[in-house]
Amino acid sequence: MTRHHPDSLTLMEYSAGNLSEPHALCIRLHLDKCPHCRSRVDTLDSLGAVMMEEQPKVNVSESMFDSILSRIDSEPAGEPVQPAPPRISALQKLLGENLNELPWKRQLGDVSVLDISEKFPGQSEQVVLQKLAAGGKAPAHTHRGNETTIVLQGAFADQNGVFNQWDFVVLNEQDEHKPVAVGCEDCITLSVLSAPVKLTGRFTRLLNPFIR
Amino acid sequence: MTTLDPKPAKAEGRKDPWSQLLNKVGKHQDREAYHALFEHFGPQIKYYAMANGLASHAEELVQEVFVSIWRRSCLYDWRKAAASTWIFTIARNQRIDMLRKMQRSSAEMLVETEDLWQIPGDNEDEPVTSLHRLMSERRIRESLSHLPEEQVTVIAKVYMENKSHQMVADELNIPLGTVKSRVRLALNKLKVILQDQNV
Ligand SMILES: [Zn+2]
Repeated sequence: MTRHHPDSLTLMEYSAGNLSEPHALCIRLHLDKCPHCRSRVDTLDSLGAVMMEEQPKVNVSESMFDSILSRIDSEPAGEPVQPAPPRISALQKLLGENLNELPWKRQLGDVSVLDISEKFPGQSEQVVLQKLAAGGKAPAHTHRGNETTIVLQGAFADQNGVFNQWDFVVLNEQDEHKPVAVGCEDCITLSVLSAPVKLTGRFTRLLNPFIR
Repeated sequence: MTTLDPKPAKAEGRKDPWSQLLNKVGKHQDREAYHALFEHFGPQIKYYAMANGLASHAEELVQEVFVSIWRRSCLYDWRKAAASTWIFTIARNQRIDMLRKMQRSSAEMLVETEDLWQIPGDNEDEPVTSLHRLMSERRIRESLSHLPEEQVTVIAKVYMENKSHQMVADELNIPLGTVKSRVRLALNKLKVILQDQNV
């Protein structure tokens, strides 16, 4: 169980560029709001730089440098100096401006879900958005495999504490809990399931991380 | 986080010749400085490509990284990252980008690689406070020389060969827990683990 911040091993896999896209998204969304973890990643990026420096070197030719120069010369003049464009977060690119207006599918009671796995083509994980209505309760449940979750809106609480917007949590089969949405907003989370559960028939609709 | 006098950061920045060169590229499109960076980092990036399975695209990766360095150099701020850290993150992102493009069409790419993996200093409007960003590279270099070989090996496989902890365990034929504890021990000594729990 990892709560509120990603652990150092996960951040290292992120810094090394070894995480899948949905997992990297969870980390990135957290980093955008957590200076503490951002500084941990800065240090890890420096570790990457030092590791690269410590390895054997492979000769590069002058002709390669020449072709690099001809590439930069073929670009329109004045192009290299470009201020960074106004930032649209990965989340907005994927899901638009308003999370509340997505085509949510109502499930049991206070829980709605939306499977967004198809937004990550070529990735094997299941990526699911979940919405717990303000003040609502999810039934008690456990988790299968490792399930990485980030809170996108509102907050939820369980016996282990309160999870606010941009908190990061990893749960597994040992973590039984009964989340409640706290505050006056619906709680929306994004979860990445590394080992999606394959159920059929009438159980299919129970297939989501709030309710298992 | 400790706040420190910013003066040592400046001194440290001046001492790092690669950051100075990168600054010259960014400010004056200095081609001599650019060439010096190519001679120093080009061989490292080529090895990186070969180690992580992109051997047949190694030269292409080096070129992509250097074109990207040229384009982005105006955004480089030595107070936010040492040149080698900045260049490592560009190499990492170009590698990820290359693999993504091999695997799918651009129409399928809803998010850019940089939306997921950030280059330090890009779009960051936070004040420059992180002296340790500059100090860390030197500190890491020093501490790394004191780490047991088995810990360095595991870290090298994660960063250079882009193997997950599980893949490293399988390859070295040791339990996943052993890999993780070696990484944790190393990160502890490198002071990356600040407070994993209850922060
Ligand atoms: Zn954090």
